[in-house]
Amino acid sequence: MTRRDIAIVGYGETKVELRSGRSSYDLACEVFEQILNSTGIAKSEIDGICVSETMSETSNPFWPVYMAEMMGLVPAWTQVNGLGGASTIAGISRAASAIRDGQCTTVLVLASDAQSSYPPTEQGAQRWEFQYPTGLRGPVGVFGLLSQRYRMQYGLKDEALAKLAVTQRNHALMNPNACSKLKTPITEQDYLNSKYVSEPLRMLDSVMICDGANGVLVTSAENAKRLGLKKAVYPTGYGEITNFNGDKAISDITETGFSVAGPKALKQAGLTPKDIKLFTPYDDFLIAILIQLEQIGFCGRGEGSDFILKTDMTYKGTLPLNTSGGQISAGQPGLAGGGLNLVEAVRQLFAEAGERQVENVTNAMVTGIGVIPYARNWGVSNVMILEK
Amino acid sequence: MSEAKKTPRPLPRPDIYMKTRPFWEAAKQHKLILQFCKDTNQYQWFPRPVSIYSGKRNLEWREASGKGTLYSWTNTLVPWPGHEDRVPYICALVDLEEGVRILVNLINSDASKLRDGLPVKLSWEKLSEEFNVPVFEPA
Repeated sequence: MTRRDIAIVGYGETKVELRSGRSSYDLACEVFEQILNSTGIAKSEIDGICVSETMSETSNPFWPVYMAEMMGLVPAWTQVNGLGGASTIAGISRAASAIRDGQCTTVLVLASDAQSSYPPTEQGAQRWEFQYPTGLRGPVGVFGLLSQRYRMQYGLKDEALAKLAVTQRNHALMNPNACSKLKTPITEQDYLNSKYVSEPLRMLDSVMICDGANGVLVTSAENAKRLGLKKAVYPTGYGEITNFNGDKAISDITETGFSVAGPKALKQAGLTPKDIKLFTPYDDFLIAILIQLEQIGFCGRGEGSDFILKTDMTYKGTLPLNTSGGQISAGQPGLAGGGLNLVEAVRQLFAEAGERQVENVTNAMVTGIGVIPYARNWGVSNVMILEK
Repeated sequence: MSEAKKTPRPLPRPDIYMKTRPFWEAAKQHKLILQFCKDTNQYQWFPRPVSIYSGKRNLEWREASGKGTLYSWTNTLVPWPGHEDRVPYICALVDLEEGVRILVNLINSDASKLRDGLPVKLSWEKLSEEFNVPVFEPA
């Protein structure tokens, strides 16, 4: 890319809530209204809609169309992304292509899920046959296997994970939208004392599944000017890989698609990891942050623990990390989780982050992780760079 | 765990995403069979409708030796529904001699004494009259 022809001109976000009892539609419409209010545009300007798949509405095969109907939108371009937590930034990339291709002008990129309130849809294919009978059901077990392998291969310092846990929790304490159940301070000792769920994975390594919605408005830079919109950030780099190493029967599970997607996004933006002012990675598990730091190139393979220990990742630090608390400390709004870290990046670049505002933030790196496959790491890795 | 409504341990659901009946028939005889891609001379696991190497359907089932090494493991303390009676249980990734990685339960093992590359061998667990599942134990 390195082009600045596409702009994110608005964002919205609900509070993350545990068992809110609200539907994905209700949550999404709150975000929609926030975006209309903050940008001041008429809803008739929105001619594209891009939604992320959800756990709570996946059984509805017409989810994006229902969403348009709920909002009274008449889109010329509609898209649904089934990339799990990687869906939202993938949505921005696809919306940018559609806008450049002349299919639409202004796209609402939205993620909304009520996974803790409505029974989630099940995944199919080989999982029921070769995975579930072993008792390895979800991300927790898979990340247990991944953590164990990483420990053996590189060594993993528990105090580095503890530092990540505390850094993100302190950020969540300043985030009014963070799940209230998680808004209690923790210490590194609390992390180390938290019980094992799937050894060597601890309770405080993982997210809590909640409800929530978030979204951004994407349009051409030219149209943003026509609409008189003052605030804009530009996606200047993007990389995405699905089913990394999926054509091999045996591969190093500590090596992920970020080793491809990270360098690609940086190259497009003409930046290096040292230039990144804010890092808002997808964080379903703490070790996912550490692995991303390595594979995107902030440090070498196996150096993640030491990098974390020597880097100030608070909102005042040299590489601020998930300044809204990330999903681990703000709560994971189901498959809308990837939008949480995106919206925080946009908010920071708009200089609207209040007491946790990072100084002189001119760019941000946002990442997404999606889907847990059989016996590998994760299914989708993507990286987006946003610049002022 | 609460005593309320116990979920039974999930049984494999064969023949849904592809025809896997030969695998389960072999399992009844305590034989672990894997798909072999005749175009590239490589095995694959789990079973697929095509070869992951060639994208073609020139596949056949071949029996595996049952020898492997431990690649990673996790000791499960908080069970999934239907697995409450089994905790703690070990889920493991085992690399078979045939060049594939399989997700299995590791039995007869002390989780604190496992190590990378530990030689393991095939055994079987009977889940029902219809299903034996492959499990592994230290060789």
